[in-house]
Amino acid sequence: MAFEIPKTAYSGKIREMALGKGDKAVTVGGETAYPFYLFEGEMPNLPKIAMEVYDMPPEEWPEAAMEPFTGVTDDPVAWAQKCIKDYGAEMICLQLLSTDPNGLDRPADEAAQVVKKVADAIDVPLIVWGTANHDKDTDVLRAVAEIVQDKSLILGPLEEGDYKKIGAAAIGYKHTVVASTPIDINLAKQLNILLGNLGVPDNLLAIDPTVSCIGYGIEYCYSVMERMRMAALTQQDDKLQFPIICNIAKEAWKTKEAKISEAEDPKMGDAKKRGILLEAMSAIVLLLAGGDVLIMRHPEAIKLVREMIADLTAK
Amino acid sequence: MILIGENLNVMSQTLGPALRERNAGPIEEMAKNETEAGIDLVDLNIGPARKGGDELMAWVVNTIQAVTDKMLSLDTTNLDAMEAGLKVRQGPVLINSVSLQTSRIDRGLELAQKYNADLIGLLWSNEGMPRDVNERAMHTVDFIYKANEAGIPNERIWIDPIASPVSVEINQVKACVEFMTMLGEIAPGCKSTVGLSNISNGAPTELRPWLNRTYMIMLARYGLYSAIVDAFDKDLMKIARGERPDIVELVYKMMDGEKPDISSLPKEMANYAKTTRVLMGESLYSHSWLEV
Repeated sequence: MAFEIPKTAYSGKIREMALGKGDKAVTVGGETAYPFYLFEGEMPNLPKIAMEVYDMPPEEWPEAAMEPFTGVTDDPVAWAQKCIKDYGAEMICLQLLSTDPNGLDRPADEAAQVVKKVADAIDVPLIVWGTANHDKDTDVLRAVAEIVQDKSLILGPLEEGDYKKIGAAAIGYKHTVVASTPIDINLAKQLNILLGNLGVPDNLLAIDPTVSCIGYGIEYCYSVMERMRMAALTQQDDKLQFPIICNIAKEAWKTKEAKISEAEDPKMGDAKKRGILLEAMSAIVLLLAGGDVLIMRHPEAIKLVREMIADLTAK
Repeated sequence: MILIGENLNVMSQTLGPALRERNAGPIEEMAKNETEAGIDLVDLNIGPARKGGDELMAWVVNTIQAVTDKMLSLDTTNLDAMEAGLKVRQGPVLINSVSLQTSRIDRGLELAQKYNADLIGLLWSNEGMPRDVNERAMHTVDFIYKANEAGIPNERIWIDPIASPVSVEINQVKACVEFMTMLGEIAPGCKSTVGLSNISNGAPTELRPWLNRTYMIMLARYGLYSAIVDAFDKDLMKIARGERPDIVELVYKMMDGEKPDISSLPKEMANYAKTTRVLMGESLYSHSWLEV
């Protein structure tokens, strides 16, 4: 008898979701099998990479992470344009670091004006990310939702403590929201249910499972994302059939392993190569677990990940 | 189903202070209420009781046995306190519990033998919680072997496979059910028990009984002998006493692979059906599992 390769019985599908508006809008999701299991199902939309832009000059970034953005780090508009023009970014993620109440604590309206400037200057989809402070994110992301109302933004993170008000604003202005939970599949499902009850349409909801970098517990993220996909694809769990967004760049570049210079610890080797590989490899792990959108930083890390996506999907 | 009431517990906000102050009133009242509610054993949980545990346990046992004729389950990890309770107990008694840990098992078995007590064999080993059904089976064999060697027959051993919360690891929830199908063959004559409320730890308080009751039915199907339960969950009591065959039948059918049209069931039955799906691992748990 001929050997038959066992096949997973799939019964569900990840929702397809359009992000952004116009010619440069992208579509993510739509998978009918586990990530890159093209021998078992389809992956009609390849994972997308959003490049990070900060609304204030970054502090404490390693040299390797700063170097590609020399001259633009004090201007988010120029920074975003550089990402698109020089590095081919298909999405941008604007990190609203300046709004952190423990930092600059920039007021919500000012922050929203910056978002508007960036949104007006680019045509690719724009993710707007807060600081995970419930009160502040509520103020900031609601202001953003209103002031930048016709751009179909992607707003996050929405957590159990602030999803109602931010969610309501997003519904009103038809933005996509990103439901964020602390590496726990049951809580992730619960927040999706709550957002659904609030009235967020299924095609405007994505999941942030909370991710970390290699060496910092990425196994747990992998396992949670894997289980999400198992529930979504083999158990028809329609509360988990949403695209997954992974905010990995800041996790990779804040580690000691990415920051320490070769002079400080020669056995760690070339710092630039190290940081890039740490970001790229972490991102690839998350892709294999089911990530649909990766928020990344270094152009060379992004290049490596794009190559890997091309290799894994080559006919 | 033999029911062990869990409510006389040092964690209780009223009974904790009463235990510390040796205030017999609330303790007696709880034991009486549990007895009236229809449980079979009263569990006396005094916690780790590191300091003065022996004197405390002796006092609680004497206090309780004056007001109830139910079998008593002595619940502490302090083996000196355990012995003090066993010494003063007049009547049937259950040691809750003896784990497989090297530091505990010999003394625990010795107490059971010396005082002719039943004992809960907790499958917690030197490596902690068993990871799957195979480790549970392996630990059971070890436990029974050591107990038999110490002169304790299978009939006095109540194996506890350790239930863990549905929101933590569904495979562990399933492993306990599967374990129940094996226990009779591994250890003929051996009894079993489970801390039922663990299954719903972390779930919204008002919804916990649905998980507790459904899990009890699932485990009972494969022979669960007893469970440590909330004595005041009246519906659980009815199910355990055979007064709700309709619910039991629904759960059994689903365990056999039937997929009832949940939307057409009355609310109560729909809740049991949804909970069964979650506990079987067919639908992922979330706090709103009854609403979706």
